[in-house]
Amino acid sequence: MKLFALLFFQFFHVGIFSFGGGYATLPFLYDIAEKYHWYSSKQLTDMLAIASITPGPVGVNVATYAGFTTSGIFGALIATSAIILPSFIIVTIISKFLDKFKTNEMVQGAIHALKPAGCALLSAVGIRLLFTSNLHLIGTIILLILISTSFVKKQDPLFYLGISALIGLILGHFNLIGV
Amino acid sequence: MEKNFYGIFKTFFKVGTLLLGGGYVILPLLTSELADKKKWITSDELVEFYSIGASLPGIIAVNTAIFTGRKLLGTKGAIAAITGVILPAFLAIVLLASIINEIVEIASVKYIFWGVGIGVITLLFLAVKEMWKKSVNDKFSAIIYIICLILALTKKIPLALIITCAIIMGILYHRWQYKTKEVK
Repeated sequence: MKLFALLFFQFFHVGIFSFGGGYATLPFLYDIAEKYHWYSSKQLTDMLAIASITPGPVGVNVATYAGFTTSGIFGALIATSAIILPSFIIVTIISKFLDKFKTNEMVQGAIHALKPAGCALLSAVGIRLLFTSNLHLIGTIILLILISTSFVKKQDPLFYLGISALIGLILGHFNLIGV
Repeated sequence: MEKNFYGIFKTFFKVGTLLLGGGYVILPLLTSELADKKKWITSDELVEFYSIGASLPGIIAVNTAIFTGRKLLGTKGAIAAITGVILPAFLAIVLLASIINEIVEIASVKYIFWGVGIGVITLLFLAVKEMWKKSVNDKFSAIIYIICLILALTKKIPLALIITCAIIMGILYHRWQYKTKEVK
């Protein structure tokens, strides 16, 4: 019971503090991984890849997964409802005075700072992943190539995942990555 | 289809199923389903819901779905929309999660996940780039970005506290700007 309460509380707090969409929940989810060991950072990264190719918002996918690995289907239900409950409450309140909300000086001030803050937290996740994911030289080169192709033409998320999966499979079979 | 609980649920379930690769695609999906096909709502309203949804905490697709559901059928509509949009995600993951821990031990699967790890960092980079374009466009937001990034990397301060401080800084900055404008 204590575990469920903690699970609920942790994911509820993710729902309140993540600004900037599903990816913005990631900094908090990695944080939870380190604090509670319900799932590992590596598992979360794998899951993020899976979430990008399964239906639904990535944030929901990852919460469901985290809850499921923690304590099965019931955990999945708790984590998923906890992460969306703040949205439900906040949207319900805000839709009552929508027009005032948009022009309110304080709200605009808060949003002005929240957007770069959310972006910074996600950048930190990216940087930390870069140093912890055991990419080796060859992986780093592939990453740089993928990123530079995105400047030429931004592809579908599936494209990047598909290509990198294929590269991993080929390199792995030639024993080039030491996994 | 009728605009009742079940009709709204079914429509959002369809949108949730088609929602691949992140919640950002919810706007075009909702526009085609709700505005173009069913004419339950205008596309202008949807754009407004999406942009407000994006500035609130939580998952953008979920926020947008709640706003839209509420507009269609009040609280009932909101519940129908939110259950519909997350149910496909929930089911897909529960089905996958129960087999995933077994298959990751296979060598080929390990290689694939190693590769996919690179793909994920690329996706994160693209998400950051997208957010950066929309958020860091003046000195104030650049300063907030740098401070938050450093604080997040040191890992000493809870993320929620960083976000709360950012909110306070934003409000104070706007107050101050407002006052200096008045003085002029």
